[in-house]
Amino acid sequence: MKVFFRRLALYIFALWSFFPLYWLLNTSFKTSKDALARPPTFIFKPIMKNYMEVIKNNEVWGYFLDSLIVALGTTCFGLLIGVPAAYVLARFKFKGSADFGFWILSTRMTPPIAMLIPFFIMYLKLGILDTHIGLIIAHVGLNLSIIVWLMRGFYEEIPMEIEEASYVDGSSFFQTFYKIAVPLSMPGISAVGIITFLFSWNEFLFALVLGDSVVRTSPVGLYGFVGYQKIYWGQLSASASLLLIPVLFFVFLFQKPLIKGLTLGSYK
Amino acid sequence: MQGFFFMNQFRKERNKFIILMLMPATILLVGLTLFPFIVSLILSFTDYSLLRPGQTKFIFLDNYIELMKTDEFWIALRVTVVFTAFAVFIQVVLGVVFATLLHNENTNVSLLRTLYLLPLAITPIAATFTFRLMFNPSLGVLNYFMKLLGLEPQAWLASPNTALFSLIIVDTWQWTPFILLICLGGLASLPSEPFEAAKVDGASSWQIFTKITVPMLYPFIGLALLFRSIDAFKTFDIIYVLTSGGPGILTRTLNLYAFKHGIEYLSMGYAGSIAIVMLIITIVVAQIFLRKNKLLLPKDTLKR
Amino acid sequence: MKKKYISNLPPIKQLNLTRRHFVKATSALAGAGILSSYGLPLYAASNVDEMMKMYEGANIDWQSQKGSSIVLSGLEHPWMSSIEPLLPHFKKLTGIDVQVQKQSESEYVAEVPVKLGAGNPTPDVYMVWSYGQAANAGWLESLDQHFDNPNLFDKSWYDLDDIFSSARSFPIWNDGESYVMSITAEAQTMFANQNMLDAVGESVPTTFDELLSTGKKLKSGDVAGVAMRSKADGTAGSWPGGGFVFSNGGVIIQDGKCMLDSPEAIEAIHYYGTILKEAGPLGVGNYHWYECLNDYMQEVCGIGMDSSNFATDIENPEKSNAAGHTTYGAMVSGPGKQAKPNMWHWMAGINSKSQQKAAAFLFLTWANSKPTCLMSSALGLATTRTSAWESDGFKSAFGKQAATAALTNLQNADGKIMKDCWFHPQSGEILTPFGIAINEVVTGTKSAEKAMTEATAKINKAIGA
Repeated sequence: MKVFFRRLALYIFALWSFFPLYWLLNTSFKTSKDALARPPTFIFKPIMKNYMEVIKNNEVWGYFLDSLIVALGTTCFGLLIGVPAAYVLARFKFKGSADFGFWILSTRMTPPIAMLIPFFIMYLKLGILDTHIGLIIAHVGLNLSIIVWLMRGFYEEIPMEIEEASYVDGSSFFQTFYKIAVPLSMPGISAVGIITFLFSWNEFLFALVLGDSVVRTSPVGLYGFVGYQKIYWGQLSASASLLLIPVLFFVFLFQKPLIKGLTLGSYK
Repeated sequence: MQGFFFMNQFRKERNKFIILMLMPATILLVGLTLFPFIVSLILSFTDYSLLRPGQTKFIFLDNYIELMKTDEFWIALRVTVVFTAFAVFIQVVLGVVFATLLHNENTNVSLLRTLYLLPLAITPIAATFTFRLMFNPSLGVLNYFMKLLGLEPQAWLASPNTALFSLIIVDTWQWTPFILLICLGGLASLPSEPFEAAKVDGASSWQIFTKITVPMLYPFIGLALLFRSIDAFKTFDIIYVLTSGGPGILTRTLNLYAFKHGIEYLSMGYAGSIAIVMLIITIVVAQIFLRKNKLLLPKDTLKR
Repeated sequence: MKKKYISNLPPIKQLNLTRRHFVKATSALAGAGILSSYGLPLYAASNVDEMMKMYEGANIDWQSQKGSSIVLSGLEHPWMSSIEPLLPHFKKLTGIDVQVQKQSESEYVAEVPVKLGAGNPTPDVYMVWSYGQAANAGWLESLDQHFDNPNLFDKSWYDLDDIFSSARSFPIWNDGESYVMSITAEAQTMFANQNMLDAVGESVPTTFDELLSTGKKLKSGDVAGVAMRSKADGTAGSWPGGGFVFSNGGVIIQDGKCMLDSPEAIEAIHYYGTILKEAGPLGVGNYHWYECLNDYMQEVCGIGMDSSNFATDIENPEKSNAAGHTTYGAMVSGPGKQAKPNMWHWMAGINSKSQQKAAAFLFLTWANSKPTCLMSSALGLATTRTSAWESDGFKSAFGKQAATAALTNLQNADGKIMKDCWFHPQSGEILTPFGIAINEVVTGTKSAEKAMTEATAKINKAIGA
């Protein structure tokens, strides 16, 4: 009985999560007249025209590639410099660690509007405007706060005995870190990795201001389908639907360590 | 003597390790955020407008005083606080509950997890415009369902009564997966003994949930709540596309208000002051939250 | 990394434009007395020489900037869509390479101030959405000196009289110089579903009162009578609402002071609100272009009142159920008053920090020249030239009746009172409170008197009147 209600709740929530996407998918197979028809059509004659146009459109491939490069770069680079910082903040007591931690958090607090023009000027002078590296750096900066704080939270939940034992055995700090701490924290790294990837993939404002013609990620590119006095629903929905495939693929890859039970054994 | 030398050596090693691990993050963040922050702060003390670029003067606190005197600021503040509070509360409750339910489930878990992540995976602009279409009072699918169920079709985003609520629905749809994901990660790293012991003792699911799951998950819930609140406070995209702050100014949050003055009216000094006020509010509330929940410092550190 | 040639138009749509309108464009040129002796499609390489002759008649050294490259920036707009297919010919004529950057309006309006505010040398040429802002911020190059340069410009060939008088006067700034060129012309026009009108036995309304009564008759069940923009934003109700104010004898700004609390303005907006409350669809308070146009095209709304540019979509049977039976009408007038529809000319200007100013100027004059306007108007673009509007190519692309109605409205519009508001340096701080006030009247939150009076006070405070 308990199981039944649990499943019911889970599947209702799944329906809620999926419905707007179902609507988007629906729209991608409709002509522009059908897309806005009343009453809204659930059963209709589907057309492949929108998908054909999008697949043939080299620019949409460009958006996909740019987003992929930036999102992967942000995730790898972000984890690379964020996880060590998180470990240290979790495991060591040192003067100013609370303030330092809060300062990292505060980098997320300023509304972007205040930073747009200074960022643009900074990037212009440094010559990294409209480059993949430039946008990756910006995205890492925007996301570091969450990487560090979340990973710190995960580290605090991991008991320290194994690490202590490793030190007793004579391992250095670095060795203990990457041989023991990191593997133990894989569920956390996986969760944070997914969050970072998704964030960077879908980030709009900085990709807009710091990118241009060379770097045009999918949120910026798709906004181009929102035209003057009309929306190109066909292309918008088809591109958005297609872009889901790589995202879900990468999320699936990152998800493995989230599976429960995988790491519990190593505590014992 | 030798022991003392060893301690010193060790101290140095330890400090070197700490500094090295923190350095890349520090350099990046300082390089990236310090300059823009200082510029914004300075600008907020001036009357800088892109319309009169050469004639900027220092007016010190005038922007802030002006801000405090306008009704629009206080209305925007109230809208922002109401939106943030309700949205985050609903999202945290839903996130924690469904993360727990999913964690305890054993069939089709991958599929369900993927479905739950979809709102975070879809390009926001496509999702937002889809909602705009679904909420359309005459052509949208939501009112179609309302009519099928025999209910009165609503104006959703256009009505003073339902506009903010509709926005909260969209925000909840989009961001609950974020909380869910953090809680899933947290649940996956919790030890299983307390749960097994409780089951053996015959505790009910509700008791397990309230007395074991939630307290053990507490630091993660706290973090999720903190981050979601910081982000929700700055919500912009969905409001801009769906209501532009309307009807009237009933859904105009502080961020939208800053955008109007900064990008539309080009008064960057004034917009900067709004942003700084938002920053101060966020810092104060975050500090209070973190101190009260003792989340600023790790509970336990290495005894080395 | 080499810059990509960016165009957001899906390639197939571009192809459609070219194929579908080959013949129309050619016939337009034929009709204008510029023969295409082979009768070949315009874009065929073998016809290029013919085309070149039209431009070579000008006393301009087209090739003077050969080899340079300019960046053209604009929003998703019919002007961009019509000019883009013609760019290869510009390249052939002048040797100048044009890189196009196109974005949606919201994106464009947010991003370009950031770029220009930071003193970027590109874009070289860009569409100007707020002349007041751009001119005051110093983002535009003065064009007069280039107009007077005999190497870059030929006045007689260009034929200034062919351009609408409002289009000619729009670019003149208050210091007497011109910093932009008008590139399109549109006017507030009514579009009414003739089938729906016939079904209730009504004719096209001509006054506010008729619009209200006809609208109420058309409204039944979940079909609405009239839909007009009312979203709480400066880009929504302010333009059509402004037309109502003008058509009731009122003005928005006079001598630098906001006059929206005058009895004429209050009455006009009271009508606007009443019409939408009693004859409008559910939730009309959140309507912007998309919603108004979609409702009309799906025939869930009988009458709309917006830009003449809507005609292109309304008459497209692939998008619109109302194609073929829409009647376009003149702006409605207030009781005992004269109709003064609102209008708009999109403008394009040269970045004051551009490093390719001569090339940019050549591009602008080419884009606005008679031959180019004939070609682009054959693709349905609402240009600024009478010759283009009266050409057969334009009439068949745009729709004969639509063109006539729009032209009437353009000629009845009062450019000055429109400029006083929309070209004010702080136009944003005027239009946004105005738009929000209209929204409050439409949703019934405030009476027209209260909303307008409060908005006027706020606006006057902001503009220092």
